[in-house]
Amino acid sequence: MLLWVLLGLMVLLSIGCCIFKDLLYVAISLATISGVLALVLFLFGANIAGVFELSVCAGLITVLFIATVSLTKDSDQKVETRLPVYFVPLIILIFIGIDYFVIQWVAHSMPASVVPQPSGTFQRVFWELRSADMLGQIGLIGAGVFGILALFRVKAKEKKHE
Amino acid sequence: MNKEILLLLSCGILLVMTGVYMLVLYRNLLRLIIGVEIVAKGVTLIFLSAGVYRQDIGFIQSLLVTFIIVETVLAAIMLALAVRAQKIHGSLDIRNLSKLRG
Repeated sequence: MLLWVLLGLMVLLSIGCCIFKDLLYVAISLATISGVLALVLFLFGANIAGVFELSVCAGLITVLFIATVSLTKDSDQKVETRLPVYFVPLIILIFIGIDYFVIQWVAHSMPASVVPQPSGTFQRVFWELRSADMLGQIGLIGAGVFGILALFRVKAKEKKHE
Repeated sequence: MNKEILLLLSCGILLVMTGVYMLVLYRNLLRLIIGVEIVAKGVTLIFLSAGVYRQDIGFIQSLLVTFIIVETVLAAIMLALAVRAQKIHGSLDIRNLSKLRG
């Protein structure tokens, strides 16, 4: 029952992201989706992923979004879409129909259960089996940091020219 | 299959479709970034359903941590690009970014 409520809340908030006019409300809805997702991860025993989701996605990304909204002063911009907003419920109903057929297909085509072959604890998988991937992740974080630095360095150069 | 797995998968697919809807139909750059984030949440749920199905939460957790890092870096870069685009064009409308065409 709790899972139904949490997943339903996530879907409702994602529809809210399509409908809300104010980008601040959209950012807060996204943060709430991340928080609820963290709860779902905790429910299934994925505690470390849940902590990451809660601290990084619900915390850091929300702060970045709110800072961007205030930097661009665009929070009260009207919703510009190729379809009017009142079409959203109809589109969502179509999505639910597609989802139903996909789930029926998955339920009938996949075996009811598989022989569990656990790879071990998170620590073993992360630090031993996937140790080479750590380099990729460090590279990725470096790419993010240098990418942002590059974007704002252009701004500093422009200021000098001015 | 277990009902919980199908429920997770179903909700994940719905979130992915909602995010793609935002990506296809909206013109504000920040809404597009939020669309990408919603797709990422859906993919996280689909990953989780795969982990529960295979009864291998340890492996899926390590993949999810990597995925969250990718998602965060992507969001940070895209938001920085949005700030720059707004400074240059005075708006976040993606139709003003046609200068990016080669």
